[in-house]
Amino acid sequence: MEKGLKLTDILVTIIIALIFGIIYKLWGPLYGVISTLGLHVEQLIYGMWFIAAVVAYLIIRKPGVALLAEVAAAQGEFIFGGEWGVATLIFGLGQGLAAELIFAAFRYQRFDMIVASLAGVASALASLGIDFYYGYIGDLALWNLLILFGTRIAGGILISGIFAHLLVKALEKTGVTNLVRPASQEDYKALG
Amino acid sequence: MSTVANVKNMRLKFPGVDSLLFKDFSLSLKKGEKVLILGPSGSGKSTLLQVLTGLIPHAVEVPMKTDEINIPDSWGYLFQDPDSQFCMPFVDEEIAFVLENLQIPKEEMNRYIHHYLHQVGLAFKNPHTKIQTLSGGMKQRLAIASVLALEPEVLFLDEPTAMLDSEGTKQVWDTIKQVGEDKTVVIVEHKIEEVVDFVDRVVLLDEQGVIIADGSKDDVFASYKQVLLEHGIWYPGVWRDYLNSKPPSPSPSPVSINPSVHLSDFSVYRGKSVKLHIPQANAYPGDWVTIIGENGAGKSTLLLAMMNLLKTKGTCHFLGQDYKRIKNFADHVAFVFQNPEFQFVTNSVYEEAAYSLRLDHWTEEQISPRVNQLLKTYHLENHTHIHPYQLSIGQKRRLSVAASIIKEQSIILLDEPTFGQDAKNTFAILEQLEQLRRQGKTIIMVTHDRNIVEYFSTKVWSIHDGKLANDSSTGEYLESNNHVTGEISYVH
Amino acid sequence: MSIDFSYQETWLHKINPSLKLGFVFLLFIHLIMIHNTNILIYYMFGTLILYLFFTGHPWKRLMIIFLPFLLIFLTSSTSMIFFGKGDVTWFKWGLIHITEESFFRGLHLGFRGIIFAIIGVVFALTTRPVYLFYSFMQQLKLKPKYAYSFMAAIRLIPLMIEEMQTLHYALKVRGVQSGKGIRGFYNKLKSYSIPLLSQSIRKAFRIAVAMEAKRFSNSGNRTYYYQINFSKVDLVFVFYLIAVLTLSYYMAVQYPYFPITDVRL
Ligand SMILES: Nc1ncnc2c1ncn2[C@@H]1O[C@H](COP(=O)(O)OP(=O)(O)OP(=O)(O)O)[C@@H](O)[C@H]1O
Ligand SMILES: Nc1ncnc2c1ncn2[C@@H]1O[C@H](COP(=O)(O)OP(=O)(O)OP(=O)(O)O)[C@@H](O)[C@H]1O
Ligand SMILES: [Mg+2]
Ligand SMILES: [Mg+2]
Repeated sequence: MEKGLKLTDILVTIIIALIFGIIYKLWGPLYGVISTLGLHVEQLIYGMWFIAAVVAYLIIRKPGVALLAEVAAAQGEFIFGGEWGVATLIFGLGQGLAAELIFAAFRYQRFDMIVASLAGVASALASLGIDFYYGYIGDLALWNLLILFGTRIAGGILISGIFAHLLVKALEKTGVTNLVRPASQEDYKALG
Repeated sequence: MSTVANVKNMRLKFPGVDSLLFKDFSLSLKKGEKVLILGPSGSGKSTLLQVLTGLIPHAVEVPMKTDEINIPDSWGYLFQDPDSQFCMPFVDEEIAFVLENLQIPKEEMNRYIHHYLHQVGLAFKNPHTKIQTLSGGMKQRLAIASVLALEPEVLFLDEPTAMLDSEGTKQVWDTIKQVGEDKTVVIVEHKIEEVVDFVDRVVLLDEQGVIIADGSKDDVFASYKQVLLEHGIWYPGVWRDYLNSKPPSPSPSPVSINPSVHLSDFSVYRGKSVKLHIPQANAYPGDWVTIIGENGAGKSTLLLAMMNLLKTKGTCHFLGQDYKRIKNFADHVAFVFQNPEFQFVTNSVYEEAAYSLRLDHWTEEQISPRVNQLLKTYHLENHTHIHPYQLSIGQKRRLSVAASIIKEQSIILLDEPTFGQDAKNTFAILEQLEQLRRQGKTIIMVTHDRNIVEYFSTKVWSIHDGKLANDSSTGEYLESNNHVTGEISYVH
Repeated sequence: MSIDFSYQETWLHKINPSLKLGFVFLLFIHLIMIHNTNILIYYMFGTLILYLFFTGHPWKRLMIIFLPFLLIFLTSSTSMIFFGKGDVTWFKWGLIHITEESFFRGLHLGFRGIIFAIIGVVFALTTRPVYLFYSFMQQLKLKPKYAYSFMAAIRLIPLMIEEMQTLHYALKVRGVQSGKGIRGFYNKLKSYSIPLLSQSIRKAFRIAVAMEAKRFSNSGNRTYYYQINFSKVDLVFVFYLIAVLTLSYYMAVQYPYFPITDVRL
C-alpha cells in the first residue's frame, strides 16, 4: 500500500467536505434566525460546523482525513460566500486539528459513537478557544459564558458525535463505504 | 513479436463476495495485436481490463495476487460507463488535462487540442464548450480523443459504442480503426458486427471468468460456435441462428378498438423551449412499439414526458384516462430509465427487485418465489445480496428491467433495455417482453437495434429532430425504409 | 458561488486569486486588531463600494445575498449587548443587563461581522474556482493532487442537483408515496440525503479512477493550460485597500460617530 492519502481518498474526502460546505453555508442564516431567541439556544446547532471532519473520518478511516475534510469544508463555505468570510478558514483549521488529534489518540483504530462524540467535544473546545480572541466572549457575564460553553459542547456531541455516527451507519448500508475503506485481511487471505 | 502486457496465475476477489472472480488466470498480449475479448455479461471483462492497466489494485483496491504481472508502459483506457470518464467540465480543459499530465508546454496545447479533436471528427467553433451539452455520440468521441492524447501504445476499449446510434457507432469505429492501425488494441464489445473485420485474435471467457478459447478470429468463430451458443455470446450470424431455432410466430395483430396509449398534439418542454412534438400516435393492447431515431432526437424525452416527469402540453391518455389524473400511476405504467443507475432506490439486488411488490403489500411468501424466479431468468441469482451499484453494467441493466416489470403493469415503457447485454440475456429480455405482449400488455421501447425492430415490434415510431416522423406498423415501416436505411441488415 | 450564474467580468475578477486571498487574510488579521468602532464603520463603506459596484453581478442577486448579512449583525452583536460585562448600566431587566461597554462592544462585533461577510462574498463572487486552484498550484505550490480534487469536486456539485431531480423521478416512477407530517418529512429527508451522499462519493471515486487512467500523478512537474500571473490590476487592488484603510483611520479621528475609541475597556 502506498503511504499517505491516495487520490481516491482525497477526492472522496473533498466531495464529502464540499457537500457539508454547502450545509455549513446554509447553516449560517439558520443560526442567525435561531440566535434571535436568545440565551445561546443557537449554540445547540453549532455542532453542525464540526461534522465534516467526523463523517469523512468515519467513512474513510485514514489519518489526515478529518483535518483535510474540515479545512476543505471551511474552504467550501468560504467560496460559496459564507457569512464569516476568511474567519471560517481559521475555525476550520482549529476544529479539524482538534478532531484529528482525538482520532490519533486512539491510533485511528476506533470508529464508534464515543470517539465521534469526543471529536465533537474537542472541536467545540477549539472553536471556543478561537472565539476567545475573535468574539470577545471572555467579556460575557460568567453565567452566560457557561451556558455558551455547555450548549456548544452539547451541540457538538449531538450533531457531530451521535448524528454523524448514525449517518455513516446509514451510508454503510448502501455499500459505498466498502469502496473507500481498505480491504480486510480476511479478503486477502481468501485468495489462498 | 514482443509481449506488451501479461498476467500469470492471477487470483482476484471482490471484498464481501464469497467466491473468487478470477482463479489462476493467465493472459498475455503481443505488440500490435488487435484482440477482442468476448464473454457473457458479468464474466469479468471490465475487471480484467482494469487489472491489465494496473488500475486495480493501484487506484481501486481489490484483493488480488499474481505470480507475475506486466502492465504496458503507455496505455489508454476507454471506460464502459460513458459519463464517468471526464475529469474536467469543458472540452478543451478535458484534453488539456491529459496534456498537462504529459508535461506538454502550454504554447503547444491549443495545437494538440485541435489535432486530437480533428482526429476523432469533432469540430467545434470554440472548444471551450461544456461537455454536458454534447450528445451521447459526441461525448464518446471526445472520450476517445482524450485517450488518444495520451499517445498510448496500447488501447483498452470497453464497449465504446453501447449507446450509440448506427451512424455514431460507425463513426466511432472508423476513428478507432484509423488511429489504432499501428497500436495494440484490446476491445470488449457485445455489438461485434462492426469490429469483426478489425480484430485478429479473439479471447473467450465463460461465466466463471475462465478462458475457454483463445485464437485467431476465424478459428474461434468457426470451431467454437457451439460454445458461443451455449454461453450465449454474440457472434456474427447469431440472430439468424436464433430465428431459425425459434421462428417468431406471426404475431396476432391487436384487436382492441380502444388504444391503451393515445397521444395527440403532444408537446414536451425542456425549460421554455419545445423539445419534442407528437401530432398523433396510438398504441393498442398487444402492441410492441419501438421508438427509433438518432442520438439526441428526443426518444428519452418522449418516455420521460409520458411518465409525467417533464412539462408537457396536449393530450396523453393511458387506458382511456388523462395520464395526469391516474391514481397510483405506477400500478398501471412501468418505466425503465436509459441509465439503470437512475432507478435504484434500495441497497441490494434482491430488495430492488422486490421493491414494487413490497409497496403493494405482498407477503414474504408471495414475494420470494416471484423475485427468485425473475432474478434467475435474468442471470442475477448469484448476486442477490450485493448493492445494485456493484453489478457489472450489463447486470445493472437487467436488474433495472426486472425490477420495473415485476408487477406486470399493462403499459411498459423501456429506454434501451438491451444495451450492453450478451446474446443470451438479450433474448431472455426480449422473450419475456414478448410473453407480456401476448398477454395484452402494451410495450413501448426505445432501441437502436434494427433486428429488434424487425423481428419483435408490431409498430414503429420514428423520431427525427424532435418530431414524430412516422407512426406505422413495422411491416409498412420496413417496406418504406428498406432502400433508405439499408445500412444495417445483420441477418441477410 | 460563480459556478453557473452569469455575471459581468470586472477588474476584481482579474486579480490574481492567491494574492486576493492573501490580502483578504491580512485584512482579517488586521481587522481583529481594530478596536475602534468608528474606524470599522468607515472601513465598512470602503468594502461596500466594492460589493455594490465592482462585482459585476446583477443588483437583485446582490440584494438577496445581502439579507443574511443583517442577521449576521444581529447574531454577532446581541448576546454581547444583552449579556456582556460592563459598569455603566443603561438597562436591567432580569438576566438582561445592557451596559454602555457591552453595547458598544456588541455594536463593534456586529460591524466587524458585516465587514468579514462583505469581503468574503466579494471574494467569492469574483473568483472562478478553477482559476483559484490553478493559482494555488502555481503561486502557493499547492500539490496538484489536492487542487485537482477540489476542482473535480466543485464540478460535481451542480451535478448533484440534477441527481436530486433524478432521485425524485425514480421514487415517483417506482410509486413511492411518502407520508404526511413530520414523519413524512423525515422519511423524505432520509430517502434523499443518504442516496445523494453515497451517489456523490461513488461519482467522486470514479472520477479519481478516471484521472489516474489519464496518467495524473503527483510526482514531477506539470505544465498548465491556464497560466495565472500577476498584473497591474493587482496593484490597483492593493492601492485601493491601502487608501480605504488610511481614509478610515483619518475619518475616524476627524469625524467620529461615537466617543469610544477602544471597546475592550
Ligand atoms: N465492487 C464490486 N463488488 C462486488 N462485486 C463486484 C464489484 N464489481 C464487480 N463485481 C462483480 O464482478 C463480476 C464481473 O464484473 P465486470 O464488470 O468485470 O463484468 P463484465 O464482464 O464487464 O460484464 P458486462 O458485460 O455486463 O459489462 C460481476 O459479477 C460483478 O457483479
Ligand atoms: N436535462 C436536459 N436539459 C435540456 N436539454 C436536454 C436535457 N436532456 C436532454 N436534452 C436535449 O434534448 C434533446 C433530446 O434528448 P434525448 O435524451 O431525448 O435524446 P435521445 O433521442 O434519447 O438520444 P440518445 O439516443 O442519445 O439517448 C437533445 O438535444 C438533448 O441535448
Ligand atoms: Mg463490463
Ligand atoms: Mg435516450
